[in-house]
Amino acid sequence: MTMTESPPANDTASAGPAPVVAGLYDALTTTDHKSIGRLWLRAGMVLLVGAVVLGVLLGFERVDSESTDLFGGDNAFFQVWALYRLGLALLVAAPLFIGIATVVVPMQVGSTNIAFPRAAHAAVWAFIIGAGITIAAVLANGGWGAVDRVSNQEREAIALSIVGLAMVVLSLLLASICIATTVVSMRVKGMTLLRVPLFAWSMLVATSVWLLTLPVLLANMLVAYVDIHNGPGGFGGDLSGDLGAYAQIAWVVEQPQVYAFAIPVLGVLGSIVPVAAGVRAARHGLSMGLIGAFGLLSVGAWAQPFFQPTNDAVVRYDEKFVFIAFGLAAILPVLGALGGAADSLVRGRGVQGVPPAHLLGALGGGLLLLAGTAAGVARVIEPFELGDRVTVAGVMNLVLFAAVASAIGAIWFWSPKVCGHELSPVAGRGAVMLVVLGGLVVGASQVINGFFETTNNPLVAPTEDAGDALNVVALVGMIVIALGAVGALATLLNAMRTGGAGTADDPWGGQTLEWSTVTPPPPGNFAEAPALVTSEAPLLDVSSDEGEES
Amino acid sequence: MTTTTGLPSAEVTRPRTVLVGTMFASAASFMAFVGVVLVYISERAQARTDGVEWFADGAVELGPAGFVFATLILSIFTVQWAVQAVNAGDRTNALVALALSGLFGAAVFNQLWFIMNDSGFALSASNSEFMFFVVLGTFVVFMIAAVGFVTLTFLRALIGQFGPRKADAVAAAAFYWNTVVAMYAIAWYVIFVTK
Repeated sequence: MTMTESPPANDTASAGPAPVVAGLYDALTTTDHKSIGRLWLRAGMVLLVGAVVLGVLLGFERVDSESTDLFGGDNAFFQVWALYRLGLALLVAAPLFIGIATVVVPMQVGSTNIAFPRAAHAAVWAFIIGAGITIAAVLANGGWGAVDRVSNQEREAIALSIVGLAMVVLSLLLASICIATTVVSMRVKGMTLLRVPLFAWSMLVATSVWLLTLPVLLANMLVAYVDIHNGPGGFGGDLSGDLGAYAQIAWVVEQPQVYAFAIPVLGVLGSIVPVAAGVRAARHGLSMGLIGAFGLLSVGAWAQPFFQPTNDAVVRYDEKFVFIAFGLAAILPVLGALGGAADSLVRGRGVQGVPPAHLLGALGGGLLLLAGTAAGVARVIEPFELGDRVTVAGVMNLVLFAAVASAIGAIWFWSPKVCGHELSPVAGRGAVMLVVLGGLVVGASQVINGFFETTNNPLVAPTEDAGDALNVVALVGMIVIALGAVGALATLLNAMRTGGAGTADDPWGGQTLEWSTVTPPPPGNFAEAPALVTSEAPLLDVSSDEGEES
Repeated sequence: MTTTTGLPSAEVTRPRTVLVGTMFASAASFMAFVGVVLVYISERAQARTDGVEWFADGAVELGPAGFVFATLILSIFTVQWAVQAVNAGDRTNALVALALSGLFGAAVFNQLWFIMNDSGFALSASNSEFMFFVVLGTFVVFMIAAVGFVTLTFLRALIGQFGPRKADAVAAAAFYWNTVVAMYAIAWYVIFVTK
């Protein structure tokens, strides 16, 4: 019998703040979604720090690639660069949102647990092991994108890195199935799909897009893996040519696919801002439609060079109408979502004093995503000729750091349910501001650098002085992000370890069901069965009903 | 403690999690297979643009592949028979239908083994032969998963875990099976019909 079928434990309903980590045994055996979600968050935050440290090192190398050699040659430099890009999407952004969703979504829909809790638990450990294999394989000179001829030993390491990344992708898919199934089939009575909270809805859209696109990445890796071992060499196995296996899988961190990792940013925005403003969000259905539209426009598995014949006579994929239309249209849902947030802030009580970390994270993430999609618009405008410039990396960094900033804001917002108490507001503000500011500096400098004809290939030095200067600016931005990431990680790990001071069950005046249970939530989430849901903000319905009665 | 006590409690519903989860898994599996097939189509288009022959005449025959397809079409009826039988509370028919589905699955493995051997292809010989094996090999992986799912369902049915009020897992197994049949329909058309 799973936890899903266990009755809620009433005796824990009044439990005070306590450490939420019950040690290694709990980590290895738990089927409680909150413990599983915390594992995802710990792994995602540690990998975030690792990724930004790599980003800083890559920045130093790129500032002066002729005299600096931090990685021991072009081949290793390129492999670390590829690891940073793929890692920021697959090892950081997606796991952070999966972690938050694994904790929060079941409570938001009034469920006692996540669907398939054992599968969700297996997914997080498969992710951790897969990430470890991937990093170890890259350190063994086996990353994607070997740009010179390599030995047989390295060939095995490259195959291993493909296996590791495939394991990561499979674990993300498995976790996605658990989250999507929870939203679709485990909602409490009265919560129709149109009444699902925006964060849960955004996770349903995001996981659906991931389930439809990341398997194509798996297919690419399968072909490359078989080719490396026994194939004719034209499918990523020819390690001496072009970018090797990296050419097969790079589409996942380029637009439009990279937008898929930021879909939950819009859900976080729609969930946090109305609460901070103290109003019911207007036009819930429209917000759901905007998130769905952004999800649709971020389906990008079709836009990969490998599906296009390489004959010069054939039009390139990034010159096709659909690719350009997706690039131009993707900004519209983001603008709409930010407009909805602004409407809530205007109608609401306003922000008293210094804005809380979660509001900064939600708005900062939304604005970074707006900048990312705006840069994406510039990227598809043909006369600019930015298709092979560093602007591509700028779009990626803006979008993925939007996801990171939004995820940090979400962790601070839902920290009473995630950690059992509120996290330090000062540390939260600092971490969010540093990530938003650094992300903007890194992304904007790279986008602008593209106009100076600096290529996306890091092995090619800028041709103009301005390109070198902008590389220095990008390095500074990455250092700023690193400071924010380290601060967020330290605060989160410390909070999970110590338990901290007590907090209210609903410190923000929340509107959705997760705020109706105690802090920390008991096994089974709800001491009493959740109320019959009659709108998308059931707790506002309760308070208005109580007001009428009195 | 803050609880939503102002409204009547919701009724407990019995979610169809296995079926919904299987639908998501089926969609992901289908997209993975389509991804491999698109690589095949892309390579074939490139070869034809370059004027290179993809398969030699007679190397890939439609007949045996058609038998595989016919077997899989038959299996659609048997898995749906199992779903119908479980919904009707007819355990005997459900067991027979699931066993037949598994048998058809075994027949498909046998026929695919023959097709791969009969082709005389080698994995590293050329792009076309490489992709032939990759597409069919990927299909075999998903077919193994489907047969495993049906076998597990058969064993659970054998010990009486299913009934008219608890038929989700059987419907889920049938859904995944039908998805795998759809995969083969694509492979059959792309590899054996359009060659």
